[in-house]
Amino acid sequence: MRVQVNARNRAFQFEAAAGEKVLYCGLRAKIGLPYECATGTCGTCKARLLDGRIDDGWPQAPGKKSLKTAQGEFLMCQCTALTDLNLEVASFVYPADPSSPPVGGYAGALEAVRPLTHDVAAFDVALERPCEFEAGQFMALGAPGVPGLRGYSMVNFDRPARRLSFVAKKKPGGGFSEWLFSAGAAGARLEMVGPLGKAVFSPSLGKNILCIAGGSGIAGMMSILARAQAADYFSKHEVRLFFGVRTMRDVFFLDELARYPQAEITIALSEEDPPAQAGKLKFARGFVHEVAKREMAGKYQNVRAYLAGPPPAVDAAIRVLLLEAKLTTDNVRYDKFS
Amino acid sequence: MARHLVCKTADVPENGLKECEADGGLKLVVANSGGEFFGFQAMCPHQDVPLCEGLFDGATLTCHMHLWQWDVRSGSPMGIAEAPLQKYALSVEGDSIYLGGESSALDVGELFNGIAPKTLQALARIAQREEFAENSVIYRIGDAATDFFVLESGRVEFLIGRGEKQDPAGFMMRKGEIIGWAALLESHPQRIASAKALEKSALLRINGKQALKLLEADPASGYTVMRRLSGLVTRFLTPAGAQ
Repeated sequence: MRVQVNARNRAFQFEAAAGEKVLYCGLRAKIGLPYECATGTCGTCKARLLDGRIDDGWPQAPGKKSLKTAQGEFLMCQCTALTDLNLEVASFVYPADPSSPPVGGYAGALEAVRPLTHDVAAFDVALERPCEFEAGQFMALGAPGVPGLRGYSMVNFDRPARRLSFVAKKKPGGGFSEWLFSAGAAGARLEMVGPLGKAVFSPSLGKNILCIAGGSGIAGMMSILARAQAADYFSKHEVRLFFGVRTMRDVFFLDELARYPQAEITIALSEEDPPAQAGKLKFARGFVHEVAKREMAGKYQNVRAYLAGPPPAVDAAIRVLLLEAKLTTDNVRYDKFS
Repeated sequence: MARHLVCKTADVPENGLKECEADGGLKLVVANSGGEFFGFQAMCPHQDVPLCEGLFDGATLTCHMHLWQWDVRSGSPMGIAEAPLQKYALSVEGDSIYLGGESSALDVGELFNGIAPKTLQALARIAQREEFAENSVIYRIGDAATDFFVLESGRVEFLIGRGEKQDPAGFMMRKGEIIGWAALLESHPQRIASAKALEKSALLRINGKQALKLLEADPASGYTVMRRLSGLVTRFLTPAGAQ
């Protein structure tokens, strides 16, 4: 089926396969359609249906709450084309960078789920065909019998990657994470779409890096560190990372983080004082944005910041970086999942 | 316009924001910039996020969702923002803030917003307001590009190609957007697309040569307008992946 998207600056056309979400078809065709979470929660990928029929895969998607559905607005990440479509997207749309990793459907076997803390686990997917992605990107993952997809950032960085590593936090009522933590998930075939996300790092950036992550938001930062290490980025640029959790019971990846002695890494504990014996990593008391603010004073020259974690933590970090550090908006990168 | 109370000056903290509903029902966000008050549309023009939840340092207003930014003195977009804010004139009397009028399409527009008031008024004098019915043609490919238009309300679509082979080439939907800017170029160009009102629309028609003459007489404003015009043109020429 043919989809025509009338954007503010021009029109685009692409093919939509039966049963495939309109957004993924457009991204696959290297059209830079607007999206952020790509999984129904944020509402960024809204479009207006001018002509044709669609099937809405998730009529109750939280991302629909600000949509004018009576005027034909819908989420491209949740809907499939039933006929040729004529859509309107009320933003400027440009072709994607031809050198960016292609978006597509991938599948692989879920390997052992390893608990990292009482409510966070790491898991790997052995891909059936290799995948290319940028450090900081995520995949929309689907599990058998669980409706919808959920976004998880890659922890590793390999090009091409035959295996993808992820981190998931157990959320009560979170379909995918509950399934993942259940017995019998290991070995299951996972389907996924990606790579997605614009908060990406590539060594050609040539700037000092500041990563601020809360909880499982550390995942994408690990990929950035791995990419930086592989390119010997630390020898020319300063890399600082702040990782916020509540208590020592919630912290993970300490050994993995200690493998980057050239990066300045600080663990922020919001609910208890740091341990006396801290090993190679620095610890501090406070919310991660507060600790970052204290430690970063006077160190914002030529900085690109990457943020990830729970929305209140990301918002608080944005506030510090724009209002106090006076970073320009193009140097504050994050993908809002909700 | 009747005088509508917006709020008390004490309601808006210094270098802070507050969403207010003025008498008469209009919702707006009021910014207190060092004791001076500026009023804007309450919701972000990008994705309908309340701007009162945004960030404000006393000069620049930032929507927290996708970091669109505006200069509060003019409502002009900054950084990655794609649209200006609708600004509302406010007047302070004693401890109360009252609503004046809303800014004209010219002033909210992406080319002329915030330029010298005298030049803005002169442009307003040579502007003719025209209404176009739904599906009516504003201009066709090949027509002489003598006038440009500023969208006041409605929605305008561009089409490239002729006859049966017409394809959509973008659309304009925000108050203040400029249609047919080729009329501001020196080389007496022709229209390269046709423009059609998708719904009942009101536009301000301005003669390109006359506008250029006014801008020549006020080089500071003229420079601002030409710089913005080049930004507007490049937005349509931006190469792949440059977003």
